[in-house]
Amino acid sequence: MERIHDHDPAMPASWNRATKPHRFCPGCGHGIFLKALGEVIDELGIAERTVFGCDIGCSLLAWDFLNVDSVQTHHGRTVPVVVGAKRANPELIVIAYMGDGGGYAIGAQHLVNSAMRNEKITVLLANNTVYAMTGGQMAPTTLPGQTTGTTPYGRDPDATGQPTLGPEMVAAITSNSAYVARGSVSNYPRLKQYVRQALENQLAGRGFSFVEALSGCPTNWHTNAKQTWSYLDDEMTKYFTLGEFKTPGQAEGGEDK
Amino acid sequence: MTNVIEAEQRSFMTGNEVVAWAALAAGAEFMYGYPITPQNEIMHYWTRLAPKFKRGFLQTEDELSAGFATLGGVMAGRKSFCATAGPGNVLMQEPISMAEMMRIPAVWFIQQRGGPSTATVIYSQQETRLTCLGGNGEGNRLVYSTASHQEVFDYAIKAFNNAWNYRFPTFVLGDGYQAKMREAVTLYDPAQRGIELHGTSRMLGRSSKQLDGQQVRHYRNTFNIEEELYETLMQHIADWDHMAEEVVEWAWEGDEEPDLLLVAHGVVSRAVYAAYEHLKSAGYNVAYFRPITLRPFPVAALQRAAGRCRQLLVAESAYGQLLSLVRDSLYGKTCAPIEGLLRPGLGITEELVVEWAQRLLARVG
Amino acid sequence: MVERVEAFVGEYAAGKSEVAINRALALRQQGKQVTLVDLDLVEPTFTLRPLKHQLEGQGLNVIAWETAQTFGLGEAGMQLHPQARSAMLRTGHLVCDVGYGVFGSEVLNLVEGALACPHLGVYLVVNTTRPMTSSVDLILEEAKLFNPLHGLLNNTHLGAETTVELVQRGAQIVQVAANELNLPVIATPALAEIAQQMDGYDVCGNPVWPLRRYLQTAFW
Repeated sequence: MERIHDHDPAMPASWNRATKPHRFCPGCGHGIFLKALGEVIDELGIAERTVFGCDIGCSLLAWDFLNVDSVQTHHGRTVPVVVGAKRANPELIVIAYMGDGGGYAIGAQHLVNSAMRNEKITVLLANNTVYAMTGGQMAPTTLPGQTTGTTPYGRDPDATGQPTLGPEMVAAITSNSAYVARGSVSNYPRLKQYVRQALENQLAGRGFSFVEALSGCPTNWHTNAKQTWSYLDDEMTKYFTLGEFKTPGQAEGGEDK
Repeated sequence: MTNVIEAEQRSFMTGNEVVAWAALAAGAEFMYGYPITPQNEIMHYWTRLAPKFKRGFLQTEDELSAGFATLGGVMAGRKSFCATAGPGNVLMQEPISMAEMMRIPAVWFIQQRGGPSTATVIYSQQETRLTCLGGNGEGNRLVYSTASHQEVFDYAIKAFNNAWNYRFPTFVLGDGYQAKMREAVTLYDPAQRGIELHGTSRMLGRSSKQLDGQQVRHYRNTFNIEEELYETLMQHIADWDHMAEEVVEWAWEGDEEPDLLLVAHGVVSRAVYAAYEHLKSAGYNVAYFRPITLRPFPVAALQRAAGRCRQLLVAESAYGQLLSLVRDSLYGKTCAPIEGLLRPGLGITEELVVEWAQRLLARVG
Repeated sequence: MVERVEAFVGEYAAGKSEVAINRALALRQQGKQVTLVDLDLVEPTFTLRPLKHQLEGQGLNVIAWETAQTFGLGEAGMQLHPQARSAMLRTGHLVCDVGYGVFGSEVLNLVEGALACPHLGVYLVVNTTRPMTSSVDLILEEAKLFNPLHGLLNNTHLGAETTVELVQRGAQIVQVAANELNLPVIATPALAEIAQQMDGYDVCGNPVWPLRRYLQTAFW
């Protein structure tokens, strides 16, 4: 395949240039989420001691995206792998990168319990409302009424429940030293700021950090560019509130620690 | 690291305690675990001892997590291990499969229990097949089946060393009976017996000190095409075959042309060996064979032992799991009938083996 | 009400059950009314369960599950027998076989009123061939778990490999630990064939209790 190295586009130094252009579909949100991560790794100067774990699903396509050591694990099991590495070698900066299926369905018990234990790890989760790699089935975050491969008549909340609210759940069960936020790839500066604060929380050895990013999947949504951004900004935000849910040292409900 | 065992000592212990001490002596640095009987005392003793020797422990939310966290610990460069049983062993086949394909030298202690059951936890060899060949791969792993506390100690040290040497997941397979039984064992410092402990290396997370101009490493089990998977796997299988020649172990005793060859593994082999001695002293022409590595299975050695025997008796606390390994090994090599003394989830005594053996021996008499 | 409570505590596999059974039978032979209570909440094997009938046949009252009664409870779990809770309401002597663990004498709270009994003896059973009680310092560390504690027993042995010399070495270590703790060594229990060679007292002058093995046949 013809690469675009000649044009030398600006890329974070922690990106693996040899694997660009990346493998994600056109319009996919993963590239934007990973750009934020790459820039933050550069700014914090932590590439040497960063371990990037990625899950199954489209997130696995990131296995050689970054120029840092990585491990692509099994579906839902990225959190325990990076927990094991961090516990064994606390000087490592470990990142578990996954989709909504990996974090909220098959790996939910790991997300919940690592958050409860306040593991000093960073979990980055892309929420695109579908199981994309397997062909667009219903995910825990699929919107009510949304048509997917396993909800051909639209998601019926009576039968399949409401979309999972991950950051809200994680914020509710973590200690005050956790960092929890939900951003969107449609607001890049804000998303990058969340990723940075999440990693800074780990660097400071404070506690668990978790960022969910609303992320587009035009291929499985079957949307054109305008519809994709509209779905992301107008439809998904009806269910998924953007913002920080927990910042270290600040108790919920506006009270001081 | 503080010396775990200052001087050799003869100790009266239970099997689970021996595992904890053996892991310490073998230089294990981290245990990840989840409670399940009959392996709990491994965790009880590891958590009592670990802080004294600056080792780590994490109790996870389930066995999937314990298994995968063990892989994370190993990849971060620490000698890490896990212990489980029964349904926990089933769940851990997922991380074990990843370890096989990524060549992660994690060590597992399995204390088999009756299955499937949520209650029976003593007599069982019903995880033989699972421990050897579970998971969605080709079973590229090393499995030792122990029969005494001394063997648990010796083979635990060997398991850590061979795991890190050959880089395949490695098992010490016991059972509830071995876990709970009490007998004397000699604890020793491997160095004092001239056993060198294999060093560790990081797979992930290069510190600036360890950078050494190495490339960034990407570990993955995602393969783009079937041929890539095939080539990777065949290289692992070639490595495993090479390892198999070097690590395969067995015990064999008795006549080369016996009227009856007795075969058993693990703790059952003790009853079978006692029966063998009893029968021999009663004037019978018998032999005894015990695979110590179940994976790799000592195929050639068993073929030699069984090549000129008139019949075989395979005794196990399972319904044909060892028997099928024996049959596979001997296919086309013997016409001797192979009988099974098969008691899934039950104990096997010397008296029972003698009774069965005498019945078979009367047949060829 | 029970007149006297003796509780045998200590490390895993230290020999607490064997000592408790033998002690209960010895008291019975002295004509006392004796109730033996299984307070092992950890170990599903090597319990009093398989021995219950045999011991009752020898005149003991035994508060322990019978294997048939545990149908549905399973070997994996340990449930407290309800009679243990009210055992103090009985008469005569109470002998408690306490399972190992890091909970120390707290386990005796499960027998209502036992810790308040004016004639309470909590005795630490020590086998010095066990790595975690193999030296004076380690025994002192183990003893810290138990409060109150009234005495030590030297139960040093190596199963079939036991010798008189080994038992005597253990007696010396346990005696030094007991001196440090300002507690008496109650006895050195030893298998009958070893005890025969010891003329009633160990090298430190503590009585030798001849033991008969019961738990060998007690594996679930």
